[in-house]
Amino acid sequence: MLLLAFREEAAIGATVAEVRAALPGADVLVVDDGSPDRTTEVALSAGARVVRHPFNLGVAAAESTGLRYAARHGYRVALRMDGDGQHDPASAAALLEAVAAGAELAIGTRFGEVATFRSTVVRRAGNRLLARVVSWLAGRDLTDPTSGYRAFGGRALPFFAEHFPHDYPEPESLVWASRQGFALREVPVRMRPRRGGRSSLTPLRSAYYMIKVSLALLLEISRSRR
Amino acid sequence: MSRSSLLVLGFAAAFALAIVASARARRTDERHTLVWLFVCAAVAALAVWRHAIDILAQAMGIYYAPSALFFLCLAGLLWLVFRQSLEVARQKTQLRKLAQEIALLSERRPEPPRSEGQ
Repeated sequence: MLLLAFREEAAIGATVAEVRAALPGADVLVVDDGSPDRTTEVALSAGARVVRHPFNLGVAAAESTGLRYAARHGYRVALRMDGDGQHDPASAAALLEAVAAGAELAIGTRFGEVATFRSTVVRRAGNRLLARVVSWLAGRDLTDPTSGYRAFGGRALPFFAEHFPHDYPEPESLVWASRQGFALREVPVRMRPRRGGRSSLTPLRSAYYMIKVSLALLLEISRSRR
Repeated sequence: MSRSSLLVLGFAAAFALAIVASARARRTDERHTLVWLFVCAAVAALAVWRHAIDILAQAMGIYYAPSALFFLCLAGLLWLVFRQSLEVARQKTQLRKLAQEIALLSERRPEPPRSEGQ
């Protein structure tokens, strides 16, 4: 279990405890993305292993650090969750089952049949637009391209340990995975409002994010496969 | 030689000295030192051979000679800034990988629970 955290001292303890209760046999690794607060200490006292970036590198690098840890320690499946408690650990089993059934990248979607937390109207509209673009580029229907609740297995785990997009990795990595021919599967999951801390996405940043991701996706079309 | 030519030559010489001093102190590498020394040589050449810019402008089809100089300087600077941004991006990637490795090497594990009597 990879929990990505930045400035999450208020939420990470409860999130780790909840994950350990939901998946008692799983090893929990918190990737602290250079938090200036007590995120690392709180995660350690909650019983998680911790790797801490010496300074903030962004969520894409944090995901890749976690996957690199998993690949080097011989794990064959890694499940990524956010440290703020938005991802309900009760849905983790469904994602792991999808990987066990052959998916190499299982993506938790908020838009399945599971009752879930609804984000703001603007974010939902942005997400729908992005979903169309990503689905078109990936050549398959994907409903939640910004979801960070996902499980990696098969070839996807070592691949994403070494290759990661800049800044916000989720939509781009779906296109990469599809171009690599990895088996993708969307799994309905439940998401909740964040437990503590603050979201890094302000309205202005969200707009900038959309433009930047669109450019990254357009550039991706022009590249040859890795 | 005119006063303006001497002024520009002096500037080129001072700039070249500053570049060599930086290179001696290992603050710049050989590649960048060479590029900057070439810039100094070009400035000095234009100061000595003042009609060079007129010939250059004529060859480029530019009526007003100083415009040719501005164009060349701007193009050169743009190229330099672009190269610098490529270098920054490359170093950013290296730094990120290094920071990830440090994080992985300094993994921390929770302390095992103490047994009774310890």
